[in-house]
Amino acid sequence: MECRGEAVVEKERIHLRPVTLCDAAPATLHLLPCEVLVNGPAPVGRFFTPAVRQGPDGLQVSFRGRSLRGEEAAVPPGFTGYVMVTEDRGERLKGKQDFSGSSDSDGEGDEQELVEAPESLEREFDRFIGATGSFSSFTLWGLETAPGPDAKVHGALAWPSLAEAIHAQVPED
Amino acid sequence: MATRVDCGDGARARQHVFLVPEYLKDASKKTKSGLMFVKLVNPCSGEGAIYLFNMCLHQLFEIKVFKEKHHSWFINQSVQSGGLLHFATPMDPLFLLLHYLILANKQGKFQPLDQVVVDDAFPNCVLLLKLPELEKVLHHVTEEKEIGNKKYYKYSKEKTLKWLEKKVKQTVAALKTSNVTVSARVQSSAFFSGNQVLNDKEEDYIRYAHGLISDYIPKELSDDLSKYLKLPEPSAPLPNPPSKNREAHSSLNKIMSPLQMDNTTSVPANSPLGCILNNWDAFKADSLNKSRLTFLCNMAWPQYKLESREIWPE
Repeated sequence: MECRGEAVVEKERIHLRPVTLCDAAPATLHLLPCEVLVNGPAPVGRFFTPAVRQGPDGLQVSFRGRSLRGEEAAVPPGFTGYVMVTEDRGERLKGKQDFSGSSDSDGEGDEQELVEAPESLEREFDRFIGATGSFSSFTLWGLETAPGPDAKVHGALAWPSLAEAIHAQVPED
Repeated sequence: MATRVDCGDGARARQHVFLVPEYLKDASKKTKSGLMFVKLVNPCSGEGAIYLFNMCLHQLFEIKVFKEKHHSWFINQSVQSGGLLHFATPMDPLFLLLHYLILANKQGKFQPLDQVVVDDAFPNCVLLLKLPELEKVLHHVTEEKEIGNKKYYKYSKEKTLKWLEKKVKQTVAALKTSNVTVSARVQSSAFFSGNQVLNDKEEDYIRYAHGLISDYIPKELSDDLSKYLKLPEPSAPLPNPPSKNREAHSSLNKIMSPLQMDNTTSVPANSPLGCILNNWDAFKADSLNKSRLTFLCNMAWPQYKLESREIWPE
């Protein structure tokens, strides 16, 4: 342990800015039943949101010509949903200078995002992360039919209540 | 934060969708810092995992990820691939401490806590010692001695199994009130008498709870707990093959995984280093000197079977 200074330890931490949890503006989230292999801006409000209809058996919309059926999924009681983004650091700033005005480099950036593993939180160590949006429910979409109670997402949303039981202190004898 | 406006809707930046306890927001009003993601050991696998640590409330949260094939997010006016949903839920730090207590127990003596919680791979483990409630609950899993105002601890398997049994019981209670399906046998058990169905169900709950808790303890302890709970092997005369049953029991574990780190440090189990890592206890770090490595290379490893077309270094 002696050989490890506090600086080394600091490198293994991502600091979450608490103030952003209070300031986060409400965000609208949709969980789609397909993989879109891009991370970046998308005109959701122009193409997707206006096409959402309330049908007899729940929400309807189409995406890339396929029919989707949706339902609202609530964040479990006692929990809040947040969208979190890590803050820029040196390397990113360098990328930004190239970005000035040219849209070609924009597309290149998107491709780079693709190569990264989804679990990239680890890559973000030694930096700051903050909430950019908050939500208390999101829309869950299924292909052709609504996801329904058997959807795995619903199982996942039951996790906090089970986790509470697993991790609660046990009664004394 | 104002400087981040351009990335507010995910222009370039990767967005993580999180569910966190509401009270973190209230707690954050009082402090300017103190919430951080850290790498700590996963007490089940021994590999690295990411946890959220609250320095002010002295709380530990584990991060689990929900991941299903073919999903993506629309977040405001942006798209985020992967469709990952992260959960930050409070974690009993005793599971992590248990990992270190079991390791320290190999030396078989009473030790002060700050000598037990030592980890070069995960230096942030010292944060565990800052959890004030921890010392009060240590007696669930340790024998302790007090010598001159200093406390010394030693892992106790008997006490730990008792403690884990209580954990299983309270998890079974939560499973019963939740809508989680614990059994794939519900339909097949209709073939049996009513009594049998009831027995089957209780056993399924216990088995499922055992599976959930096994995610926080080493495999060996999980096996001991299974015996302690008198869980029988999945019975044979059922129409479903056992593998299918097991799958059902671990269903929640399967869709929710700890936020693991890139496994770039792992090595093939049949390589010399893999051999050392797999038999780490037998080696004792201080015995790993040059002459011992030479002995291993020349004498021990050649006895291990190799995959086809592999050869040991001459």
